[in-house]
Amino acid sequence: MKDSDLQRLLRAAAETVSDQPDEMPFGFETRVVTDWHAGLARDFVDVGRLLRRVVLLSLAVIALASAGTYHELRQSDDPDDSNDDEYAIVDSAIGSALEP
Amino acid sequence: MDDMADDFDGAALVAAARQHDESAAREIVRRLYPLVVRLVRSHRPRRTAEEDLCQMIFAKVFQKLSQFSGKVPLEHWVSRIAVNTCINQIQAERARPEFREADLSDEEIAVINNLAATSEELGPDRSFAARDLVEHLLAALKPAERLVIDLLYLQQRSVAEIQALTGWGASLVKVRAFRARQKMKQQLDRFTAEGSR
Repeated sequence: MKDSDLQRLLRAAAETVSDQPDEMPFGFETRVVTDWHAGLARDFVDVGRLLRRVVLLSLAVIALASAGTYHELRQSDDPDDSNDDEYAIVDSAIGSALEP
Repeated sequence: MDDMADDFDGAALVAAARQHDESAAREIVRRLYPLVVRLVRSHRPRRTAEEDLCQMIFAKVFQKLSQFSGKVPLEHWVSRIAVNTCINQIQAERARPEFREADLSDEEIAVINNLAATSEELGPDRSFAARDLVEHLLAALKPAERLVIDLLYLQQRSVAEIQALTGWGASLVKVRAFRARQKMKQQLDRFTAEGSR
């Protein structure tokens, strides 16, 4: 079969006009628009869920950070052991300087 | 696409639809349905109903509405979504039946014999049989090849129009058309060989 034979076949086939109408089926646009609205509502709910998770996670991080800071402050306020290390270092330095 | 009304301001309708204007969304569907349904038919889905595929395409159009930049006409943008959706859907169907000469009607066999016997154009009385035969040949092609043959030869669109509809380059359109024609000729040769046995 040659290319020209196929071209003839295709030309003959193109002469038949499709009898199928291009009209929209009844209720089609309503279905599409309803789906679209449902999709938008779903997106909105998804964004809400994500936002709530982000807020909860942020609150948890803030609470942990606050607890850590409070703990550190409590430790530095303790008068018994606040300067012990520094005194020991200075004492050792003086001692080693005075040794012959 | 040619019969799309000139006053169709796609960008304005999209802008309104983005603001959740329902009447604008309905207008988009009404205006673009003929284009979408013709593209769906060009792909000849086997298992997926034409209406379902159209609905799937419009769902994607509205889902991606925020991505429409307005740089190309709305019809071209929608037709590319339609083409890609159809190709993906039909590839998922994986239905490319192999036809044998015994599956053809007497009229279709007469068309094949006529093509082999003379180099004259087929008469108008053979048009419907020719169409049926072409449908059989198209069914064995890949979705993109089916589309290009339908647009180029049955709808008689230009390469430039197909480029605009599909987003494919001119050379890709021509290569796909060439490969599709080769396959169709091979299939016709098989029919002829089976018929002569």
